[in-house]
Amino acid sequence: MEYLIGIQGPDFVLVAADNIAASSIIQMKHDYDKMFKLSEKILLLCVGEAGDTVQFAEYIQKNVQLYKMRNGYELSPAAAANFTRKNLADYLRSRTPYHVNLLLAGYDEVDGPGLYYMDYLAALAKAPFAAHGYGAFLTLSILDRYYKPDLTREDAVELLKKCVEELNKRFILNLPSFNVRLIDKDGIHDLEKLPLGPK
Amino acid sequence: MLSMHSYDDNGKMKDYHYTGPVQHRFSPYAFNGGTVLAVAGEDFAIVASDTRLSEGYSIHSRDSPKCYKLTDTTVIGCSGFHGDCLTLTKIIDARLKMYKHSNNKSMTSGAIAAMLSTILYGRRFFPYYVYNIIGGLDEEGRGAVYSFDPVGSYQRDTYKAGGSASAMLQPLLDNQIGFKNMENVQQAPLTQEKAVQLVKDVFISAAERDVYTGDALKICIITKEGIREEIVPLRKD
Amino acid sequence: MALANILHGESVRFQTPHGLSWDSRPNDIGFESEFGDGNSFAFKASLNSGYDDGLEKKIEFLHGTTTLAFKFQHGVIVAVDSRATAGSYIASQTVKKVIEINPYLLGTMAGGAADCSFWERLLAKQCRVYELRNKERISVAAASKLLANMVYQYKGMGLSMGTMVCGWDKTGPGLYYVDSEGNRVCGDQFAVGSGSMYAYGTLDSGLRKDLTVEEACELARRAIYQATYRDAYSGGQVNLYHVHSEGWTRVSQDDVLKLHQQYAEDKA
Repeated sequence: MEYLIGIQGPDFVLVAADNIAASSIIQMKHDYDKMFKLSEKILLLCVGEAGDTVQFAEYIQKNVQLYKMRNGYELSPAAAANFTRKNLADYLRSRTPYHVNLLLAGYDEVDGPGLYYMDYLAALAKAPFAAHGYGAFLTLSILDRYYKPDLTREDAVELLKKCVEELNKRFILNLPSFNVRLIDKDGIHDLEKLPLGPK
Repeated sequence: MLSMHSYDDNGKMKDYHYTGPVQHRFSPYAFNGGTVLAVAGEDFAIVASDTRLSEGYSIHSRDSPKCYKLTDTTVIGCSGFHGDCLTLTKIIDARLKMYKHSNNKSMTSGAIAAMLSTILYGRRFFPYYVYNIIGGLDEEGRGAVYSFDPVGSYQRDTYKAGGSASAMLQPLLDNQIGFKNMENVQQAPLTQEKAVQLVKDVFISAAERDVYTGDALKICIITKEGIREEIVPLRKD
Repeated sequence: MALANILHGESVRFQTPHGLSWDSRPNDIGFESEFGDGNSFAFKASLNSGYDDGLEKKIEFLHGTTTLAFKFQHGVIVAVDSRATAGSYIASQTVKKVIEINPYLLGTMAGGAADCSFWERLLAKQCRVYELRNKERISVAAASKLLANMVYQYKGMGLSMGTMVCGWDKTGPGLYYVDSEGNRVCGDQFAVGSGSMYAYGTLDSGLRKDLTVEEACELARRAIYQATYRDAYSGGQVNLYHVHSEGWTRVSQDDVLKLHQQYAEDKA
C-alpha cells in the first residue's frame, strides 16, 4: 500500500515517498521517512516487508559509507545501484531473502542525474521516471503522458502533484502526506512536503 | 474409534471416493491427560494431582502421579505429554543436583521457577508439551505457587489449576479461595485443613466430569517440617 | 544456534529430531489447538484476502490484549490490561503486561507471553551490560534497536510479540513500537493488541497538548477500560505507569469491574 516515485530531469532527480508506517490495517506513524541517504548525492527509497526495509537499507547505507572511508571517494549512483542489486540478488538465493522494492536516485559529476528502479527480485533498470506500489498503476500513465526529458524543476514538481492528486482521487487508501526531495549537483535538498487533501 | 475415522470435523460423513492425496505426518506429541493443582497458604503450600495416565479412549495406568518432589520445600506438578513430563523432571533434577554440588545449598522455589522458565524457552521452536505448576515455600517461609505455560511464561499465584480439568477447577478455586466478584465477604486466611479439604472436593468434582481425571488423588503438603503425602481414592470409571 | 548460546548452551540446546522425517516448521507442531500452545495475549491470526498479491498477501492482525502508551508534556503514560487467554479460556486475569526493564525503561507485552518476557528480560541484561561498559544509561532508541535486531534474527520462525519500549533519556521521553515482524518505529502514541482499535479511538479523541498528569492517566485508564468493554480478549485490571525524568512510577492498578461501576455512577 506504500508509494514511491522518482522523476529525472536534465540536471536533477525529484523523488517522493509516502509518510505512513503501517502495521496490518493500522497506521502507526504519519511522519515516517522512507528515504535513506547513502552519500552526499545518493538517496535510496525503500518499501516492502516490515523489518526487511530498514535492515536492508541500513546495511547498504553503511557499506556505501564504508566504501568512502576506505577509498576516499564516493560510489557513483550507477555503482551504488549495481552494488545494491548484487546484494539483493545474493540474498534472494539465500535462506533469508529481503523482500524490498527500491528506488535509487543520485547525481554524478560525469554522468549527471540517475534514477534506478529495483524490485525485490533484484531486477534493475535505469529509468527517466519510476514508481513503486499500487499507486504506480495509477500514476505511471500520467508520467507516460506528461513526462518530457527536458522538464524543469517546476515542471517536475507539478507532475508529481498531478500524480499525488490522482492517488487522492482514486486510491482506496489515504496517503495524506509525502516527503519530497530533489538531488542535483549541489546535493540533496528537502522540498516542501506534499500535504494534499481531496480536491 | 469408528466415529473418529468415518466422520470429519464437521460431523458429516466423509466421501468414500478418492478425493486426492492425503498427507500423513508423524507427530512427536501425545496428550496423556491429568490434572494438577497447587495452593499457597500463609506457611504451607499444597501440590496435588490425579494419578490417571490416558491417551485417547484408553487408560494406560491408574497409578501415575504427576507430582514430583524437587527439594525439601518444592514440589512440581506436570501434566500434558507424559514423555516430555519425564524428560523435563529429569532435566530439572539434574540441574538441581549440579546447583547443590556447586553452591552447597538447595535451590529456592523462586530460583527453580526462573530456571524452569529458561529450560522451557530453550525449546521454543520444539516445545515441551507440559503444563507445569510449582508449589513450595519462599525464602520467608510463605507458601508460593508458580504457574507456567509450555514455552516458559510464568507468574506467581496463590492458587492455580493446570491440565485437562483446569477449566473446571479454576472457577471453583476463584470462588472458594479468591472470593472473586463477591461483595461483603471477609477474606478469611486459608487454613491448611480447609485447603486440603477443598483440594479433595474439587478433584472429586473433576473426576465426575472429566474423562482424563480420576483413579486417585495425590496430595503433597509442603510445610517447614517437610513434605507430607496423602492419597485419596477417586472414581475409577 | 544463537538462542541456545544465549541460554548458556551446556544444558539447553535446540533439539531437532533426527532420523524422523519430521517437518520442523514452527507452527506445525501437531498438537491439538484446544489445549493451546501457551498463553497468548495476541495470537497471530491471518486472513487470506484473495485479491492481493505478493507483499500484501495476508492481512494479519494481533488479537488477545490491549496495551497503549503515549507521550505528553510530562513524559510517557503506559497502560495495559491484564488478561491472558489460551484459545477462548481465560488462563489468567492477573498478568503483569508491563515489564520493568530497569528503573527508567518499560516494555509492554502483546503476543506470546513467553516471547515477550524472555526477550525483554534479555534486553534488560544487554542494557545493564551497556551501562557498565559505557558508564552511561542506554538511550531508548538504542534499547529498542537492540530488541528489534534480536527478534529480527528469528523472523518467520513463529515468534509473536508486539511491544512498546518506553523510557526517558538525555533527549527526553522516548517511545518506540517494536514487533516480531521487524517493525521498529518511533512515535507519540501507540496501541497494540486486539483491543488496540478501541483504545486508539478513545485515545485519539481525548488527546490534547496540555494534559496534566492526572488527566493523562485518566485518559489512558479510560481507553483501556473501553477496550476491555468491547474486546472479549481484554480484561482483568488496568495497570498504569508514568515515565518521567526521574524514571518510571507505578500509578495505579484498577479492577475493570470497579471501573465499570465507577464510570456508570459518574454517568448517572
